[in-house]
Amino acid sequence: MRPAIADIERLLAAFEETTVAEETPGVVARVSLADVGDVLAELKSAGYESLVDFDGMDTGELIELTYRMRSYSFDVELFVKTTVAYGGTIESVWYEYPSALMPERETAELFGIHLAGHPNPKRLLTTDGVAPLLRKDVPIRTVEEVRAR
Amino acid sequence: MTDRCEETLGVGLLCEGQHDPGVPPAGLRRSPSGVDGLTTEHLIINMGPQHPSTHGVLRLIIEVDGEEIVAVEVSVGYLHRGIEKLAEHRRYDAVGTLMDRGDYVSGMMGELAFALAAEQLMDVEVPRKAHWLRSLASELNRLASHLVWYGTFGLDTGAMGQFLYAMREREALLDILEALSGQRMMFNYIRPGGVVADMPLGLTEQIRTFLSTFDTYLDEYHQLLGGNEIFQMRVKGIGTIDRQMALAFGLTGANLRAAGVDFDVRRARPYAAYPELDFEVPLGTTGDAWDRYIVRMGEMRQSARMIAQLIDGMPEGAFTAKVPRIIRPNAGEAYASVESSRGETGIHLFADGTEHPYRMHYRGPSLFAAQALEEILPGHLIADAVMIVGSTDIMLGELDR
Repeated sequence: MRPAIADIERLLAAFEETTVAEETPGVVARVSLADVGDVLAELKSAGYESLVDFDGMDTGELIELTYRMRSYSFDVELFVKTTVAYGGTIESVWYEYPSALMPERETAELFGIHLAGHPNPKRLLTTDGVAPLLRKDVPIRTVEEVRAR
Repeated sequence: MTDRCEETLGVGLLCEGQHDPGVPPAGLRRSPSGVDGLTTEHLIINMGPQHPSTHGVLRLIIEVDGEEIVAVEVSVGYLHRGIEKLAEHRRYDAVGTLMDRGDYVSGMMGELAFALAAEQLMDVEVPRKAHWLRSLASELNRLASHLVWYGTFGLDTGAMGQFLYAMREREALLDILEALSGQRMMFNYIRPGGVVADMPLGLTEQIRTFLSTFDTYLDEYHQLLGGNEIFQMRVKGIGTIDRQMALAFGLTGANLRAAGVDFDVRRARPYAAYPELDFEVPLGTTGDAWDRYIVRMGEMRQSARMIAQLIDGMPEGAFTAKVPRIIRPNAGEAYASVESSRGETGIHLFADGTEHPYRMHYRGPSLFAAQALEEILPGHLIADAVMIVGSTDIMLGELDR
């Protein structure tokens, strides 16, 4: 179920540069990178108990991060989006939401961004030296192209 | 005081007038205090990635004090194939092949999640029969997947018989799925717009034959494993995940419902034919490994109930909408989630109007269950760790993607 936009706007009124709108996936709150930790802490105290998903997307200029929040008590879902530059740093939200531990590591490694405040900021899926694979400037090579190198 | 101390408190306690065992008497290097005086060294052991009880290539780096686990690090990535990146180079009708190889024991749900996400961005109305066939395929696949879990979970305790029975039933289900989709496990059956093929002739009877014995067999299986006292002693009271921890770690599916949280995507966010079906959502109370066992056994019974309703009420009509040969959804963003065998499988899809997805994120429930192991396992014995990993039913194919 989608929460009322007015409720989310009232909840996040303290954070400037925040816009709340209804989009195809659901209600999306776009916040600035500096605010995202505080916004998630605010949402947690408002009853959003679970961070269900966290992922990134390369727009071609910067990385768009999506936090998918869910409240089981009120049966509502909210998407929180923010953007970070290539090679930028995001603040870990593991203290509010431990479910972010591994998805944050994965996103950081696959999009080439840094993690701050994470208890175990190692690579999750690939080994050292592998390029940030999900970035659009990292192409997929065919077997022939790899052999030819 | 001294007498009372010795009488009531027993041996090993320092009573008045006795020597402190930590201070050795003159002439001795250490006190003859027995086991209490020994110190144990913490060892770091690797469990996996080739350990038979980790259900794939999960590696647990365990710090043990004797037999007791002190700390755990979950190390994954041994099965990383880059499904999310590969999907950016597949056409929309071919992404299903990648989803099959994500969660390779229940591929139908992954395909369904992707199809639902793509359909949000397409101008297409899925026919009613396609919805029913999708639910039918999902429930058959859920049964097959839960049977694999049931068999291997028993293997973790050292039981053998139930594995053979579970594989027998699963083989009958895979025959049905093969008749439906043409493949045993890598189906690519559910595609944006509908499904690939209608039910073949005679499949309804084949499913009825399977269902006619399954409920009785399920009772027997529950007695065989769940009625076994050794199994109960191994499973009850270990690996407790209470409501707060389950929500904090983002658990979904049976792991969440075992903690008493009444949330099933099939009922809370209905999709496919589930709004028209009559089923219950089994719930646990304490959230230990036994509750997860009970919840999954209950889900199997509900799946069988749903399959019976689905073949009885299968509507007539087209099994797919009119979809162009090359699918080009509108540019935009979509998120669809389904209840897979392991929890909530979600697809976050970005389309840019071309024939390839711009970005596809695959939310696998196993990743969240696996990272919760770091919190649950400490304090248990190594032998219990095997049971707890088995009870969370993680699938490394969708964890590493």
